[in-house]
Amino acid sequence: MTAKRNLRREINEKLQDDVLRGALGLFAEVYPAARERALGNVEDVEALRDQIKQTKSETVDRIEEVADQFEAEAVKRGATVFRAKDGDELKAYLLDLCQKRDVHRIVKSKSMASEEIDLNDALIKKGVRVKETDLGEWIIALAGHKPSHMVMPAIHLNRYQVADYFTKELHESIDPDIAEMVHTARVTLRDEFLEADMGITGANFGVAENGAIGLVTNEGNARLVATLPRIHVVIIGYEKLIPTMTDAMPMLRLLPRGATGQLMTSYMSIISGPTPIMVEKDGAWVEDTKELHIILLDNGRLAAAHDDTFKEIYQCIRCASCLNVCPVYELVGGHVYGGHTYAGGIGAILSAFMSGMDEFKDFHELCIGCRKCTTVCPGKIQIPDLIEEMRRRTVKDQGLPFVTSRIFDVMTNRRLFHGLLRAATIAQKPFTSDGLVRHLPLFLGGLTKDRSLPSIAKVPLRDRIEEVVRPIEEPAKKIGFFSGCTMDFVFPDTGVNVIRVLQDLNMSVVYPDGQGCCGKPVSAQGDVEYTRKIAKNNIAAFEEFDVDVIICACPTGVEQIHEYPDLLKDDPEWAERAQAMADKTREFSAFVAEEYEKAGRLTRKQKRKDAVKVTYHDSCHLKRVLDIHEQPRKLIDASEGYELVEMKDADKCCGMSGSFGVLHSKLSTQMLNAKMKNIKDTDADIIACACSGCMVQLQGGVDKQAPGMTMKHVADILAEELERKKAD
Amino acid sequence: MKVGYMIMKGSCENWTEYFPADKFSESLYEEFESRAKNVSTEVYRIQSLGDAKKIVADIISDVDARKVSIAADPMIEESGIIDAIKAAGISCYTTKEDIAANRHDADIGISRVEFGVAEFGGVCQNATAIEDRLVSTLPPLHIAFMKSKYIVPGVEDVLDIISRTFDSGYISWITGPSRTADIERVLTIGVHGPSRLILIAVDDETGGNA
Repeated sequence: MTAKRNLRREINEKLQDDVLRGALGLFAEVYPAARERALGNVEDVEALRDQIKQTKSETVDRIEEVADQFEAEAVKRGATVFRAKDGDELKAYLLDLCQKRDVHRIVKSKSMASEEIDLNDALIKKGVRVKETDLGEWIIALAGHKPSHMVMPAIHLNRYQVADYFTKELHESIDPDIAEMVHTARVTLRDEFLEADMGITGANFGVAENGAIGLVTNEGNARLVATLPRIHVVIIGYEKLIPTMTDAMPMLRLLPRGATGQLMTSYMSIISGPTPIMVEKDGAWVEDTKELHIILLDNGRLAAAHDDTFKEIYQCIRCASCLNVCPVYELVGGHVYGGHTYAGGIGAILSAFMSGMDEFKDFHELCIGCRKCTTVCPGKIQIPDLIEEMRRRTVKDQGLPFVTSRIFDVMTNRRLFHGLLRAATIAQKPFTSDGLVRHLPLFLGGLTKDRSLPSIAKVPLRDRIEEVVRPIEEPAKKIGFFSGCTMDFVFPDTGVNVIRVLQDLNMSVVYPDGQGCCGKPVSAQGDVEYTRKIAKNNIAAFEEFDVDVIICACPTGVEQIHEYPDLLKDDPEWAERAQAMADKTREFSAFVAEEYEKAGRLTRKQKRKDAVKVTYHDSCHLKRVLDIHEQPRKLIDASEGYELVEMKDADKCCGMSGSFGVLHSKLSTQMLNAKMKNIKDTDADIIACACSGCMVQLQGGVDKQAPGMTMKHVADILAEELERKKAD
Repeated sequence: MKVGYMIMKGSCENWTEYFPADKFSESLYEEFESRAKNVSTEVYRIQSLGDAKKIVADIISDVDARKVSIAADPMIEESGIIDAIKAAGISCYTTKEDIAANRHDADIGISRVEFGVAEFGGVCQNATAIEDRLVSTLPPLHIAFMKSKYIVPGVEDVLDIISRTFDSGYISWITGPSRTADIERVLTIGVHGPSRLILIAVDDETGGNA
């Protein structure tokens, strides 16, 4: 077991690593378009993703049966199959095989499963010569590094660093010329292929109906590894099994497209049973039959298969699409955002099963929860949800860290929490520097160079309700307004505007004073018990008023309230009441767009001469959880005073995401800076969004980096449009 | 097509029986060829098998090849290239023993491939016989013969044929030359496999298993 990691220090180091930042930044820039182009001749991507999800999830439900069939069919065709419970069993089997068959030299093509169990070290210790032959894997083996990406293991190194490692290894001066270095690798490794006694490959899939394995590669090394040596060993995890040959179809279409933007890799090999080889006997070449060993590796996979939630990891096809769109991975790479073998959010989950919970705990907090990965994953894995569930389990087992639990005590005690927030307006400085409150997982971190943090408003929204709420005779709908803490205490003006827009629709609005935090900051940390307390408080607060619809102008609040029924489903007293609240709860911009549409007010309007330019930022959760992204734009389009201009990467995370923005303020401000650049490039006067978390972040960015701009919630824009119309 | 080494029943020999001939069209070939070229495959489409001799001779002289390994196949034999190569004084290996003995330094490998796939511009090779693999993996240049009428639309069609005809053995899909982007993500052609893939697509109905 290695020493506990210091994640913050690692992050700081990587943020200063220009090579890594340059490579990852450039890749993040070009990847989405490359993937899009490759998907150009796929008619229905969603159908393929559904197919992978379905095939894999049906397979995992009967994994033993499928594995038995795979084994029987492979054996029938002449392969030897060994089931390895863990790395130790696998290594013992291989070392024994090496001894029995007089194996001294091994060539390998890429196998992450072998890295997971440190296979090479074990073989080398026993005096076996082992060479990785995938160029990237060879480079990191020379460097003594671990892969930093599942598909591009050496993406963290540049040509000069690679040339240095080559120079050291080959004892001759190697120029940092990429084509020449690639040729050098070909020449150097060629003899390794020709002289090897054994070849070890991984597998991208294993087919139960005929015992075949599939290998998807580009360099041609896997074909040599599987062709030349007299023994071929395949290391395959249970999650790679599929029932039939044709089940490989959606995977073979999405894997290359998602991994590298290729329609197909250079090579795709299907191997079933031992194949012929040529061996030299007494100076003559004769044909013989290869020895084929297939090792099915468990190492935590079967435990995952029998877990109702985490069996979802069987839908992973190791394409790394999730890493390729991850905004945190883009900044720090897989050495920081990763464990022993696997990187990123999916890496955290895989590590939990294959390396243990300690490794999960090392880096799971780097998942910012923006859900971009869920839009590209070929197996439709809901990575952020799996991470949250794993957090819940660690909390259940071990409790929260002491400081965090104290904060949650405060947050669940609404009066105390609100009292503290009120106190903050009076004495903001001492409050924010207080050790306890500094850790509030909302917005009360320290000031930073690139971002100011918001001040607590002098008068919270809850104390301004009377100034704005007016009686509506025969209201079209009775609305209950759930503001969430941030709108209540930081952006009360926006809360007031929400009420104005709703009243303009001839709807009456009440603001139940008993409402408190939605519970997201607590549930995101994995604490179910605290979250339940918070949920019950809010349900009771809204039950006091008989409203038709509950409106929240923050996606997190809506999402969280929609989770109340699941949270309380086993509580007979609360289950139905939670459902009733969830059923009534709607997001503000989608609701208003729908009402405007009914009233014929949602059409694009001729803009006034003095119309100002607005660019709209998609909040991660508004777009990817609630699927609301057209409505806010249509609302802006439907105004006369605001002209919408799109920014680049409008739906890329701004870096706030609740506690992440405070816990990892350096990463958070890096993400904000990228967002601010895209915002400024539009020359807009206003940056609009519809999420109070994003508002905190964007206001901070505007203050420090774009003082001429204004940050507004869509509700502010709508209310101002109403004011202007009244004035006309 | 050669009747290769079979462990159990024939691996892929009878694939033509399951070939979706009704799906072939000229535009399918054109899609195949254009996608093949997109991934740096060089494609020669010829009317008659005999036209292959000049193409192969030009390639040999262009790269100054000294040793050529050929995985024998009726189509390649009928093309006359073997005799032509030998007549030109170039070493030509056609038995698996000779191919194995010269695996270090053959300059060109020649084999037959079964059919092309329009969706991604690759070809499907029954690579069960060792000589098919040796000539297509080791030399820096691989020339593959195919029939231009044998093109399937996509991945689904290939897997359909494979699942009907394949029991055991080795199948390779080959889509362009060997490539890597492992250093700075710069696409570089020719790592461990051939740096050039040349397809000779023959229209001729005769020759090999037409």
